[in-house]
Amino acid sequence: MNLQNGQKPVEAVGSWLIKLFTGALVIIVLTVHFLVNHILAPNGLLSYTEVVKYYQNPIIPIMEAIFLIVVVSHSLLGLRGILLDLNPSRSLLRILDAVLVIVGVVAVVYGIWLLGAVVAQGLKV
Amino acid sequence: MESKEIKKTGGGVWSWFDPRNRQPGTWAFILNRVTGLGLTLYLFLHLMVLGLLAQGPDAFNTFIKLASSPIVLFGELLVVAAGIIHGLNGIRIGLTTFGVGVSKQKQMFYVFFAIAIVLSLYFAVVMFRHSV
Repeated sequence: MNLQNGQKPVEAVGSWLIKLFTGALVIIVLTVHFLVNHILAPNGLLSYTEVVKYYQNPIIPIMEAIFLIVVVSHSLLGLRGILLDLNPSRSLLRILDAVLVIVGVVAVVYGIWLLGAVVAQGLKV
Repeated sequence: MESKEIKKTGGGVWSWFDPRNRQPGTWAFILNRVTGLGLTLYLFLHLMVLGLLAQGPDAFNTFIKLASSPIVLFGELLVVAAGIIHGLNGIRIGLTTFGVGVSKQKQMFYVFFAIAIVLSLYFAVVMFRHSV
């Protein structure tokens, strides 16, 4: 956390650079995600059976897990930047940071569990 | 430039929607934040909806039918447009952060915004082609 004018916190250079780096990764991985899931996939993955079958290729869940981590990090860092515009006090920012970290971890853990569940559904067939 | 303008209009999120005396840089700033908020909301909704996959074929296939309705398709088009605008604007910010095209950033914003409109129109045609 950086402080300017001795009062309100502003975004640290490290957070800004991580946001920039994850932003660049989101553009690359989102393009691949979009092309693979909606253009290259047979019938655009518009039924349960197709989705489950498609996720049996091990590259797909790995790519989706990476995409999830990158996009959640970028979006929550962006949200933090907006919250900083509202000039929160340092104590409030600490609480907000904790909430954002919890939301991010829960979203990533839930997403990876979901990927595992979809892959497992395919193994039953 | 941007932060001074924000302060002039009173600061805070509501000042983003004050259209008076805006420069292109400020519009780019506002667009980036509004699209970012929308995309963050969509990300978490998307994760929740995909949770239907864990509930079995009936739950997921029923949702897919609902998702083909024109209202949901329009919402998805807004997400696609927001993603394109946010992504291209992000590229502009990334380039200028490292000193590339700083003196031409207004022109860059106009060009990227024009590309975003063209791409959004393309996706509108592709998405609504089958539902009309």
